Amino acid sequence: MNPLSVVARTVCNLFAWFLAIFGIYVIVHGHLTPGGGFQGGAVVATFMAFLLVAHGGEKMQSWVRKDRFTLMECFGLTLFISAGLLGMSKTFFFNFLAKAGGVFGGVLPIGPNAGALNTSGTIALMNLSVGIEVVGGLSMILLYMFSAAHPQEPMGREESGHDR
Amino acid sequence: MKARIFFLISILVVGGLLWSGLQAVHPFGLPNGTPMDDYFIANAQGEAAANNVVTSIVFDYRGFDTLGEGAVLFTAVISVAALFRKRGHN
Amino acid sequence: MIEILHLSILATILISGFLALWFRNLLSSVISLSVLSLFVSLEFFYMQAPDVAIAEAGIGAGLSTAIYIVALRAVGKKQFRKEGEH
Repeated sequence: MNPLSVVARTVCNLFAWFLAIFGIYVIVHGHLTPGGGFQGGAVVATFMAFLLVAHGGEKMQSWVRKDRFTLMECFGLTLFISAGLLGMSKTFFFNFLAKAGGVFGGVLPIGPNAGALNTSGTIALMNLSVGIEVVGGLSMILLYMFSAAHPQEPMGREESGHDR
Repeated sequence: MKARIFFLISILVVGGLLWSGLQAVHPFGLPNGTPMDDYFIANAQGEAAANNVVTSIVFDYRGFDTLGEGAVLFTAVISVAALFRKRGHN
Repeated sequence: MIEILHLSILATILISGFLALWFRNLLSSVISLSVLSLFVSLEFFYMQAPDVAIAEAGIGAGLSTAIYIVALRAVGKKQFRKEGEH
């Protein structure tokens, strides 16, 4: 696919980074604010969609590598399953990390409060793993679809998007 | 002509069922609480230690369903990669 | 006041859904679907479901629009034609 015009490329280059920051914020603060791993991962994948639509598939293929995203997806799912299987003697997800333990083992006061980032036990870990998995998976889908699309528009034109 | 009569009958049946279902909907903006809702609102903060009750349901109480969701996404990525792979070389 | 806002959101959903079917230009239809998704996300936020609103804004308005645009540019058709026409 041919890249879009200079105006569209500049706007996408600027606003894609705001999308990436917002998505990472939604993933990391999943246990405090609305959102979670899936929503934040979808927003970060929208960052990849912005750059793909603006710059075309061939240029993005030279910037990023597909196997890194495969690795991200497999790592996220493996982290999810292994953290769930840690306490299989009682139930799924009930392990020593739940509620208190590890990095996210802060004590949460009951009642309306502002919350702290280092609380919630396994939930923050699950948010991170699902977020990594969704970012890898949706970016993989977009990269494959953009690399397999053979453009039917006349080749040799430098830019497209204002061609009507 | 026969297909048009069939479409008309199906539209009437579905519309009648939808209208009869809409009569029993509670007013807009007034959620009717169930015992499950009350349990989650009262106990989720103490049991799951997270302020966001929705996330504590998705990732703690119903964590096995979230695993299924991840498996669905993984299957979708595998099928897209199998559909759009480069043929011939590579 | 908030009721007028809510009714205008619902009316925009209806109008953009109608325009997505009415446009002959396929790119305009895709952009209209994106606007529909954005206002459905606003409606979810009004109904106090911000999780669903973020998911709808990310997937419906962002990712599916990008996938539709790449499908349109790969197929190369700009206009919707009826059968029999050329």
